[in-house]
Amino acid sequence: MNAIKPSLASRLSTKSPWLYRINAGSCNGCDVELATTAIIPRYDVERLGCQYCGSPKHADIVLITGPLTARVKDKVLRLFDEIPEPKVTVAVGVCPISGGVFRESYAIAGPLDKYIPIDVNIPGCPPRPQAIIEGIAKAIAVWQSRI
Amino acid sequence: MSFFLPVLLRNLFQGPSTEAFPFAEAYTPAAMRARVSFNPDSCALCRVCARMCPAGAIQLEKRPDGLEFILWHNACVFCGLCVHYCDSEALHQTDDWHLSHLQAEKYAMVEKAVVKFQKCSTCGKQKMPAPLPLMAKLYPGLAADEIERLRAMCPQCRKAESAPVQGETP
Amino acid sequence: MPDSLSLLVSVLVFPGGFFALGLGLLIKGVDRRVAARLQRRVGPPLLQPVFDLIKLSRKETMIPAQASGAIFRWVPLVGLSAMVLASAMIPIGGVYSPSPELGDLLVLFYLLAVPAVVLMLAGSASGSPFGAIGFSREMAIMLAYEGPVLLALLSVAIRVGLGEGHLISLSLTEIVRYQQLHGAFLLDPWMWPAVLSFLCFFPANLGVLPFDIPEAETEVLEGPLLEYSGPSLGLFKMMSAVKAVVVLGLGVALFCPNGPDGVLGLALFVVKCTVLAVLGVTVVRTGMGRMRIDQAFYFFLKWPAALGIASLVIVLVRL
Repeated sequence: MNAIKPSLASRLSTKSPWLYRINAGSCNGCDVELATTAIIPRYDVERLGCQYCGSPKHADIVLITGPLTARVKDKVLRLFDEIPEPKVTVAVGVCPISGGVFRESYAIAGPLDKYIPIDVNIPGCPPRPQAIIEGIAKAIAVWQSRI
Repeated sequence: MSFFLPVLLRNLFQGPSTEAFPFAEAYTPAAMRARVSFNPDSCALCRVCARMCPAGAIQLEKRPDGLEFILWHNACVFCGLCVHYCDSEALHQTDDWHLSHLQAEKYAMVEKAVVKFQKCSTCGKQKMPAPLPLMAKLYPGLAADEIERLRAMCPQCRKAESAPVQGETP
Repeated sequence: MPDSLSLLVSVLVFPGGFFALGLGLLIKGVDRRVAARLQRRVGPPLLQPVFDLIKLSRKETMIPAQASGAIFRWVPLVGLSAMVLASAMIPIGGVYSPSPELGDLLVLFYLLAVPAVVLMLAGSASGSPFGAIGFSREMAIMLAYEGPVLLALLSVAIRVGLGEGHLISLSLTEIVRYQQLHGAFLLDPWMWPAVLSFLCFFPANLGVLPFDIPEAETEVLEGPLLEYSGPSLGLFKMMSAVKAVVVLGLGVALFCPNGPDGVLGLALFVVKCTVLAVLGVTVVRTGMGRMRIDQAFYFFLKWPAALGIASLVIVLVRL
C-alpha cells in the first residue's frame, strides 16, 4: 500500500468525487436506491462532495448496477472506456458481483469482473442507501491512492 | 414559484433533516432483514435451504466427516426463504448491513461451517444430527432428558424407542 | 509604463483575474450550500468549487475522435479570457473605477455574449449529437434573453445620460457616480421594470433553473459540455465562476452601487453580490422546475421584453 502520505492536491481532490451510474441490465431496484441517495434530503451525498454527473467524461466513481446482460455488454464496455482515468469502479447490488438471482441465466454475459476491473463491491438486493454511502466512502479511500 | 416560497421558508427554519451517517451511527430498524447467519449446532442437514435459495447462494459440500454449509453473501438477495423453510431454526437474518468490501475480499464473504455426521448411540450407524429445536417440534411435551436420549439415536432406533413412550401399543 | 502595468494588474489580479475567480468560486459555494439548506439538506462545504477545480486538474483530458481538435481545445480559454477582461470593467463603489481604455457598457455587453457563443462552439465542435442539441438550444435562449437585457441596460444608460445633460451615458463609471449622488436606482420605483427585466436575465445567463435547458443533465446529458473532461472542463467551470461575478457585479453597479470607500466598500460589494446571487439565483433555482426551450423562448419575448420596453418608455417620458 501507500507508504508515502498523499500530497495536498491529492487530498483536496478526494473531496470532490463525481458519481456516474451505468445500468448494465439491472431490474432498476439498485438504481432507485442510487437515485434515493442522490435526491432525498435524508441521505445527502453532497456532504461528501459527491455530485451525480450526466456525462461519462465527468465521472470519477462509476457505479454499475445490473448483471451484465448479453444485449448490453458491448455498450457498457464502450461506455466504460469513455470514462477518464483515474477512476474507481463500484459494483452496486449482488447482480454485478455474482449475477444475483439471474446467475445461471442464458441472458447474462457473466459477472462484471470478467470484463471490467472492479474495486469495491456493495452486496444487497438492493443495498440500503446507507450501505451504498458506506461503499462510496470506501471507493473514495481507494480513489485517493490513485489521483 | 409562489407555491414554493412558503415551502422554502419553512425548510430554512426547520433545518436539515439529513441523517448523520457516515459521520455517526445510522438508524437500523429492529425488523431489518440483512446478512444471514448460520448456527451449525441447529442444522439437521435436510438441505431444504440449498434447494429453496433462488440465487443459489447456499451450497452443501461433502466433507469426510459431514457436510460443509457455505453461504456466499455476494449472491444472497436477503429474501429469507432459507430462514422460513429451515425447520430446525439454524438460519437467522441479522440486521448487519455493513457488507461493502474491496474486490480482493470478494470470495472471502462467506458463512462457512461444517456440520458433522453423528453415530447412533444404540446401533452405531452413521446418522444425521437431530437438533434440539426440531426435536422439540417432533416431541412436544417430552422431558428434557428423554429428548436428549432420543436425539442420540438414529431414526430407526428412535422410532422403535419412542412409539411405546408416546402411549401407543406396539 | 506604470499605466499599462496598472491595467495589467487590474485585469489579472484585482478586480479581474484572481479576485474575480476567488469571489466567483465563493459565491458558487454559498449558492450550493444555501440551496441545500432550502431543501432541508446539509450541503457541501463552502470551498467545494475549489476542490472541484483541483480535482479536475488531475484528471486526463480526452478528445473525441470526431471532434474539431483545435476549436475543441482552445474555445474554453477564449471564454475565460473574455470573462477575465470583462471583470476588470465592473466598477466597485468607492473602491475601483475601470480604466476607460478597457471599454464601456456596449463592449461589456458584447463580452457578455462571448461565453454563450463559446458554449455553442464547444457543443458543435464536440461532434456528438447531444452537443449539437445543446448548441441549438443555447443559441435559441441567447437570442431570447439578449433583447430584454439590452433594453434594461439602455434604460439605465439613458436615465443617467438625460440626468447629466446628454442623451445617453454608456460609461459605467458615470452610472455609478450618478447613483452615488442621486440615490440608488433600486430604491426608485420607476426603475423597477428594468430591475425585474434584469432579474429574469440572471438565471438564463448563468445557466441555472428554470432556464438551464442547454446544459440540462437529464435531457441532453450536459449538452455542450458532454465531451469535456479534466482541465478543459475546469476552464469552463472557471469561466462560469468569473461570468457569475461579472453579471452580479454589473447588476450591483447598475442598480445599487452606493457604499463607503476603501475596504468597507469592497466588503459591501462582496456582500451585495452574494445577496443578489442568493435571491436572484438560489431561491429561483430551488423553487422552480425547468422550462422547455419553447416555453423559455416565448417567456423572454413576452414578459422581460415588455418590462424592458416599459422601462425605456418611462425613462424617456419622465426626463
